[in-house]
Parts: sequence; structure tokens; C-alpha cells
Amino acid sequence: MKWTAKDLDMYIQSKEYVDTVLIPLIPITFGSQIKQTGSMNEFLTILSSEIEKQMKGRILLMPTFHYLSDEEDKIDLLKRWTNKVKENNFKHIFFLTSDIEWKKEERELEHNLVWIPAIPLETLENNQAREMINQQVLQILDIFTYNWKNEKK
Amino acid sequence: MSKHNVSRRQFLNYTLTGVGGFMAAGMLMPMVRFAIDPVLSADKGGDYIATKQKVSELTTEPTRVDFSFKQVDGWYESEETNTAWVYKMEDGNIVALSPICKHLGCTVAWNTDKSNPNQFFCPCHYGRYTKDGVNVKGTPPVSPLDVYDTKEKDGILYLGQLKPHGGA
Repeated sequence: MKWTAKDLDMYIQSKEYVDTVLIPLIPITFGSQIKQTGSMNEFLTILSSEIEKQMKGRILLMPTFHYLSDEEDKIDLLKRWTNKVKENNFKHIFFLTSDIEWKKEERELEHNLVWIPAIPLETLENNQAREMINQQVLQILDIFTYNWKNEKK
Repeated sequence: MSKHNVSRRQFLNYTLTGVGGFMAAGMLMPMVRFAIDPVLSADKGGDYIATKQKVSELTTEPTRVDFSFKQVDGWYESEETNTAWVYKMEDGNIVALSPICKHLGCTVAWNTDKSNPNQFFCPCHYGRYTKDGVNVKGTPPVSPLDVYDTKEKDGILYLGQLKPHGGA
């Protein structure tokens, strides 16, 4: 489900089935890295919405967590987000990012961090891009199903 | 009483009725056309979309068929890709099922649950459907998968409108 009024209506009605939250983490910089963050934004936006499409009934896709890449307290801020999410009875929290900085902090995050290098989609043909995204989505879906299965036991 | 004696009064009557008739028709025809327009356009609803799937390559095993079409979504037009699970029945009829789970809208896949082979399986809440798209009792979905209208043209599979199961 997306963070839209219509989808959230659906969420309110079937809360017991939605136990997973996906938060895309996207940095903002200016200067030499600006284009890379643009790529990340493009890639992660498409990727997360495709994941949401496949797993609509169980995943709530949160609005993107944007941050300035040199921000010191972004981890604390993200933790406040996740605490709020946990208070609302979500069992699984996933982060999706292309920013390597998070990989270093993975241990501190205590939740599933899916780090995936951004594909510069602007260099690809439409069909190729679609195909690549599909492949990525299938692999990421496995991470979700794996987590769900293990929780059941 | 000669044969062709049209009086001035009669002549004027004829011409006035004639011209008036044309004018009335000219006004009424567009109005009538507007009034029945919804009826006419409803007929061509159900446009068929070409897939890349050759009908001859279909088997009795469901295959994933992707097809894309233009969709206007709120503000912008985008190319939307949808999927269908397509297979041939024993009698050669083609069945195309929508992959959207009737429970909460996840995407189901064929034969992915090892403990329940040859069924459609929804990974979200373990909903299951038999090959013909009917939901398995005791799993979350409460209705069968929707069915696409299908058509074959030049050996290529065309998919039409999505209909509730049994209504196709």
C-alpha cells in the first residue's frame, strides 16, 4: 500500500494483514555528488513502487526518508521513525537505499537494510531498464518472503 | 381541375414545410447524436491489447505473459505493464488469469509454494488458488481470480477486458 488516502483506507480496514513497512532512504547533496543522488532518487522511487505493486497487501510503503548526506543525526531521526512504526504494530521494517553510508551503520539500525547500488537508468533503453528493475524486484521480494517465513515458525 | 394546377398558397406551403423540415433536421441530428453517444461508444469498449506471446507456444502449464499499455494516472500518462497467467485447457481454449490476489492485491505466482504444487500462490498471506483460478477454501482470499478476455489474431495472443471469474 502506498501512502495515499485511498490505500491508507484499505490499510485501516485490514490492519491485521499489514505487518511490514518499507522506507526508502534517499540522500540530498549539492556539489559534485548531485547527479548521483539524482540517480538514486530515480532508481529507488521506481524500485520501491514496483515492490509495493507486487506486495501491495502486506507492505506499507512509507514516504521517502530524505536527509542531507552530511547530516550527523540522521540515524537518530530514522530511529525515531522506526520507533513510531513499531508502536503501531508493524513487525517488519525494511530500509531500501543506495547510499553506502547506511551500510556502515547497519548494525545500529537493528532492522533489515537492503542496500542496492543504483542503476543509472538514464543511460538505458526503456525496455532494458524495465527488465533490470523487474530482476531486482524479484530478488528483493525473496528477502521479504524469507523474513516472513522465518517469523511464522 | 387540370392535372398540374398548384396554387400559389400550396406552393408556398410546400416550400416552407420543406425548408423548415431541413432546418429542424439540422438542429435535431447533432442533439440526437449527442444523446445516444454513450451507447455507441460503449460498444467499442474492451479494446484488445497485443502481447508478445505466440498462441502456438502456449501449453497447459500457466506461463507469465507481460503486456503494456498507456495509462493516464491522475496527472501524467505512463506506460503501465501488467501481467497475466496464461495457459491452454485440454480442449484448446485459452485461459488468462489476472495475477492480482483478491485478498489485498498482492501478485500471485504459479507453483511457487513447495508444499502445495500446481496452484497459484500469494506470498503475502499464503492465499492459494487452483489452476482454474478458484480460491482454495481456508486461505484468506474470498473470491476467484479475475479473468481476461482473450483473442487470437495472426497467431498472437490478445488480451481484453478483465472480468470476474465465471463472467467471462
